[in-house]
Amino acid sequence: MKNKRHVSILLTLLAVVAVLASGCSSQRGSTTVKELSGAGATFPYPLYSKMFDTYDSATGVRVNYNSIGSGGGIKALTDKTVDFGASDAFLTDQEEAAMGAPVLHIPTCIGAVVLSYNLDGNPALKLDGTVLAGIFLGKVAKWNDPAISTLNPSVSLPDLAITVVHRSDGSGTTSIFTNYLAAVSPTWKSAVGAGKSVSWPTGIGGKGNDGVAGMISQTKGSIGYIELVYAVQSNMPFASLKNASGAYIVPSLASSAAAAAVSLPNDLRVVIVNSPGADAYPISAFTWILVYKEQNYAGRTLAQAQALGKLLTWMLTDGQSINEGLSYARLPAPAVTKALALVSSMTYGDTAIP
Amino acid sequence: MVTQPSRSDRRELVHERIFTAAGVTAAVALVTTIVLFLLELFIASRASRAAFGLPFLWRSEWNPVTEKFGALPMIVGTLVTGFGALLISTPFALGIAIFLADYADRKLAEPIKYLIGLLGGLPSVIFGLWGLFVLVPIVSKFEVWFGKLVGSEALVASGTTGVGLLAAILLLAIMILPFSASLILESLLVVPTELKEGALALGATKWDAIQNVELPYVQKSTVGALVLSLGRALGETMAVTMVIGNGMKMPTTLFDPANTLASAIANQFLEATSPVYVGSLIQLALILFVIAIIINIVARVILRRGVQQ
Repeated sequence: MKNKRHVSILLTLLAVVAVLASGCSSQRGSTTVKELSGAGATFPYPLYSKMFDTYDSATGVRVNYNSIGSGGGIKALTDKTVDFGASDAFLTDQEEAAMGAPVLHIPTCIGAVVLSYNLDGNPALKLDGTVLAGIFLGKVAKWNDPAISTLNPSVSLPDLAITVVHRSDGSGTTSIFTNYLAAVSPTWKSAVGAGKSVSWPTGIGGKGNDGVAGMISQTKGSIGYIELVYAVQSNMPFASLKNASGAYIVPSLASSAAAAAVSLPNDLRVVIVNSPGADAYPISAFTWILVYKEQNYAGRTLAQAQALGKLLTWMLTDGQSINEGLSYARLPAPAVTKALALVSSMTYGDTAIP
Repeated sequence: MVTQPSRSDRRELVHERIFTAAGVTAAVALVTTIVLFLLELFIASRASRAAFGLPFLWRSEWNPVTEKFGALPMIVGTLVTGFGALLISTPFALGIAIFLADYADRKLAEPIKYLIGLLGGLPSVIFGLWGLFVLVPIVSKFEVWFGKLVGSEALVASGTTGVGLLAAILLLAIMILPFSASLILESLLVVPTELKEGALALGATKWDAIQNVELPYVQKSTVGALVLSLGRALGETMAVTMVIGNGMKMPTTLFDPANTLASAIANQFLEATSPVYVGSLIQLALILFVIAIIINIVARVILRRGVQQ
């Protein structure tokens, strides 16, 4: 009898606690959100993880980011299992249609793709778009080809076969690089085209930046494309490239940022390769965070939408100071203004998010 | 005293029933998993079959931009590397197993066995790194030498990277060697001593005994070991990706970059978004699955014939 009473008291207590706790959490859920989640591109992962870490200690909001690749991020956002996706290539019309609702492309930094090579003495090479397309089409097959030597009169180039190294996995880097080749070479555009993975006319494939870098360092006479961040970190030589205004530009944070300092469309859904800027490095590109414009979907609360808006605003303003320390180019001021306008165009239930 | 045995009997009966149920469940679950697996692959690759049909199997174009896909280069790459590796590693595996079973004394055999086990347990990415940094440069030198030998300008000019089919075959041969060697060794060790001693007593030399008594006795398990090793070679992904060059075109020589089914899937699946592209990659997985099933069936048929004779 005594036992039973104890049990019932205990049960009542538990019930009261449970009710209180649930009341508490639902109340707090409507005002603050402590966690956001995103998934996508691997290229900006080091930047995002530093940004989100800083954001957590500044605001107490944790952001979980899974770098599962742009394709995976797009899929996760389509399935509405994350607050934001991240991609190195903007959505194709087909992908956007699959989303079923308008998606905003918020750029967070600028990446550059550089041409690295393995030649004795690591000469500083100059290349232009036409020659580069010729090399990757397999038409310029030797290093002492007149096409290359006329651009580099001061370098003695060997009679050595050119081995092209490309990415074997689908990647945003490939997308940026092939978009550039398609922009400068009509032959490339019609014969190969642009995309995250393409049908390469020649060469060998390495998996990831490290795979390509490994193949390059292994193979005399090879040339391949890797991200600027990676080339800088691993001390690899890279070529300067002739840009749209005719100047040879050494890839750097400043010159890739200059590629975005041109007039941009309001939706920022743009490839900035072969940028007309006088100091612009021609193979530069945004990497984007993708969010739904209308935030009231799949049972999301206003608080979640607000938290997401705050995070994005922070990444475009205070967060930008983290970029250069990690070898990612900052967004130029006009791009930031347009990106902030995009963030504030997010809606919840068709009205602006307060 | 009288009820005691009956109670324990009953308890044993219950135990037995539970055990039988658990066993049946496990067996059914295994079969169901495989069937569901096939079904899932089949359903998920619909888009590819709708777009290309059966010609997917013998078309050799793989172009994600125009979304035209064909699996032939990867099927060829998978079979050539798998069987090539088996061909190279089998004599060594047999040699190692026979040496350890019949020739080496315990002091020597034990550490070697330990090393073989260690080699078999190495993660494949380590083999891949070793392949890329050690094996590939050697293959590259061989390529140049071979090119000069046969006077092929094309080989010397373009194919000096070292990555390609040959590097993958050699690496896979090394990777499956500990596997097949230790499996064959296990079966050699259980050959009844009476048989061996009988042969020796009849005046057979050691080699006669091995050739006429031991090897026929382990024939079946050797074929089994080789099929298991082949399965491992066909499905190996990471190490192959690192040395095969990942070319999606039809290879024409052993020095060409190529790709296998598993390596192509691992490389491209993450960033594939369009339904036809994803479907085609899953179709590759289905083909790999079917190849594995066919090889197992063929091995069984060979074994049965061997037993009948």
